[in-house]
Amino acid sequence: MARVSLENVTKKTGALCPVFGFTLEVKDKEFTTLLGPSGSGKTTVLRLVAGLERLDSGHIYIDDSVADDLTPADRDVAMVFQTYALYPHLSVYRNLASPLEARKMPKTEIDRDVKEVADILRISHLLNKMPIHLSGGEMQRVAIGRAIIRRPKVFLFDEPLTNLDAKLRVHMRAELKRLQRDIGQTTLYATHDEVEAMTMSDRIAVMRRGKIEQYDSPSVIYNNPQNYFVASFIGTPPMNFIDCSYLERDGKAYLDAASFSIDVSDLSQTLKERGSDSEMILGIRPSDVSVNREPVTHSSIETEVYVLEPMGSMAILDLNVAGKIFKVRVPKHFKARTGERVWITFTRERMHVFDKKTGRTII
Amino acid sequence: MDENRLKWFLITPTVIILLFWVIYPLLWSLGLSFYNYSVMQAFAAKPTFVGIQNYLDVLSDPVTWSRFQVTARFVVLAVSVEFVIGFILALLLIEEFRGKRIIITTILIPMMAAPIAIGVFFRFVLDETFGVTTYFLSLFGLGFKWYTPTNVIPSVVLVDAWMWSPFMMLIILAGLTAVPKYLYEAADIDRASWWMKFRYITVPTIKPILAIALLFRTMDAFKLFDLIFILTDGGPGGASETISLHLYRIAFQYFYTGKGSALAYVLLVIIIVLSNIYVRFLTRRPVETFQSSETIVEV
Amino acid sequence: MRRSNKKTILRTIRFVMIALATIVFVFPIYWMFVTSFKTRVDMFAMPPKWVFTPTLENYMDVFLKVHYTIYGLTPTPTDFDRFLFNSVLISLSSVALSVGFGTLAAYSFSRFELKGKDTWLFFILSTRMLPPIAVLVPMFLMYRTLGLMNTHIGLILLYTMFNLSFAVWMMKGFIDEIPKELEEAAMIDGYSRIRAFIKATLPQALTGMAATAVFCLITSWNEFAFAYVTSGFESRTVPVSLARIRGESGINWGLITASEVIYLMPVIIFTFLMQRYLLRGVTFGTIKK
Repeated sequence: MARVSLENVTKKTGALCPVFGFTLEVKDKEFTTLLGPSGSGKTTVLRLVAGLERLDSGHIYIDDSVADDLTPADRDVAMVFQTYALYPHLSVYRNLASPLEARKMPKTEIDRDVKEVADILRISHLLNKMPIHLSGGEMQRVAIGRAIIRRPKVFLFDEPLTNLDAKLRVHMRAELKRLQRDIGQTTLYATHDEVEAMTMSDRIAVMRRGKIEQYDSPSVIYNNPQNYFVASFIGTPPMNFIDCSYLERDGKAYLDAASFSIDVSDLSQTLKERGSDSEMILGIRPSDVSVNREPVTHSSIETEVYVLEPMGSMAILDLNVAGKIFKVRVPKHFKARTGERVWITFTRERMHVFDKKTGRTII
Repeated sequence: MDENRLKWFLITPTVIILLFWVIYPLLWSLGLSFYNYSVMQAFAAKPTFVGIQNYLDVLSDPVTWSRFQVTARFVVLAVSVEFVIGFILALLLIEEFRGKRIIITTILIPMMAAPIAIGVFFRFVLDETFGVTTYFLSLFGLGFKWYTPTNVIPSVVLVDAWMWSPFMMLIILAGLTAVPKYLYEAADIDRASWWMKFRYITVPTIKPILAIALLFRTMDAFKLFDLIFILTDGGPGGASETISLHLYRIAFQYFYTGKGSALAYVLLVIIIVLSNIYVRFLTRRPVETFQSSETIVEV
Repeated sequence: MRRSNKKTILRTIRFVMIALATIVFVFPIYWMFVTSFKTRVDMFAMPPKWVFTPTLENYMDVFLKVHYTIYGLTPTPTDFDRFLFNSVLISLSSVALSVGFGTLAAYSFSRFELKGKDTWLFFILSTRMLPPIAVLVPMFLMYRTLGLMNTHIGLILLYTMFNLSFAVWMMKGFIDEIPKELEEAAMIDGYSRIRAFIKATLPQALTGMAATAVFCLITSWNEFAFAYVTSGFESRTVPVSLARIRGESGINWGLITASEVIYLMPVIIFTFLMQRYLLRGVTFGTIKK
């Protein structure tokens, strides 16, 4: 069993990106991603788990035993650094063998394991080369090899794909996920790329400024973001947001934005209870909006086309809604001219409303 | 070993050596400076406490002041000459050319030689009868006796400049190469003359580097000993006796150890003040100030 | 057309001036070199002789002196080899110590948070700024009391002290440039901090250590004042032996120049070896080219 849990961990002193009251429980064999912008503390968390940093308060448990005071060597974790951190003066073979040499394994066994790992990662032909002669992707695979070779309890990845070019990144995403499934060890993965997080993780911990905003599976995070930040961070193209106010008129409830109102009478109870005041933000994803040349329902909103962005397999229509750009996903053969008037309709079940002051989700 | 203890352990040998070989002797000699002590009489007379008498003696002695003057004259002359020559050399060498590094390294050789060896050899070179400089000067119709009260300091400056101008050149060159090229290119587009470029781009940017070079060289020149010792031994008649040499004489020729310690402390204070300024400039990371100097440029 | 003409003229002037400068700075060394191969007659010739038949007699004089004994003219070794040996021993030992300890301290300063780190660093740097003369007096007394006069170990420790501050500063600069992820990866692999340092960081620091060592070597090699004051016959270094001509009227210039050339050779070789690091060494590693 290799669970990793952080309990109310705080690290402030000497940390560029501090972490506060961080609590996280990663299940055995689970792939959890720490997702957040730069400075959110994801690397700090990884380094705390690895033992490269000392925590100020709280506890870290690896495999149900307290790891606070253990050195990195004693924690049985492996880490892949963003810069790969391969030993420049040692060959690929020696780099891979390093963890095993540290544990003073016999040479024959080391040799066997190195060749095995090199095989899995398809770097056997590179064993005698020096890191300086490797490409980015090759270096990364050596770094991964060095991590998996001793079958640690926990894998830590610190933005491993960031330094690769776009095509390679897409390829490696799948490779890494597959690898993790095959090896089957608990993994903590840090990145700022939400696509990586969505495609690879069992669960995502969205982080901001040293705190967890939400920790759930990708689909929950996508469909039920708990607050404005999470909603805005996940999803490409990102969710559209419109400031609005809740008001009641003639016995009905409306969310009133400058240029339109939406009838929310059926939700008025919830809105009134959970909202701190009447200022709210309406959120809707580009894929949950339909566009027509005429109003479809009485909730359809008239907008003006700003620009059409064809993307090959689909297109994004940018609309001018009350002075702000509103993006909608449209099929690839959709035609529109700048300045044209079109009507958009929101899929009601997919609408999100956020409290403007606290940012928390009301619906 | 636990990391907390390790980090102190690693610096322990360094600190111990420095404490013993620097702090301890300094404290000892500070104490000594308050005594009327002479090493020669170590076994005979007991050293008597004289308070700050040694300091008063040293500071009121006109000989001390004339030595300071000699030193000042030397330092000012030497540093100025070295600065000018160094600057010219740096300007000559900014542009890349084949063999540039070899040339620079070759020019730096004088700096690497032992001052004492250079001093000894220049006695041969400067000699009136068989020295090579005498020969060269005679080609221009100039006779030159170097070991005279008026000529001796300039002669020492000559040797010192030969040794240390390359040092100035190196630092100034580093400063010049660190000026971002695009500043010059923007100025070229605006059709600025080379003088304007120099005045508004080059000078502000390299000022900190120049300060470092000047300070360092001044401190070093002030400490000058080896060269003077062997080249002139303070002569003729004290005309080239710098303060370091004077200290040596007091402490090791006349063996007025107490007084010597006092003078040593006076020198120390001066040097500490100078080096404080120097270190402040150094640790201000001059290379990074280039970024902020961009805003000063108005071409 | 006119523009490129002007440029060529400027370029030529530049090169001429550079050539002249190089000649000026190289000439005395060249002259020293040349003089050491001249006979006594040749070296005093005025106007100076540019072309002459070289002789090795000066170099032989450096190592052997010929004097009359009952057996006639017999060569006996001079003491130069002892002085040379002293110089080599003392310089190498002090450099080994200072670079060794200095690197350890530099590693600590570079990677760890230490209370009062800046003060420590400043203190270490300031020891370099001390005028040797000011420290000479107390050092002399201390050495007399401790019985360190005229000992190898005395000078070794002294030079170590001189070079330590420089070594710490230079090595800190070098180590700062080595990414700490390297030793962190080693620690995660299973190595202790010290072993991680040896396996991951040290190999990267070797060039820096070599450069630092060379600069420290040159400093120790050339040191004069302290050696003069504290050494007797047994621990005398070459610079001191050179200075003992002071006050002599009949100086054997051939002997002197030959000794100096011998003593200068390693320095010149090392300077060329360490070309890349010259700027760094001269400015304590803060300005890097």
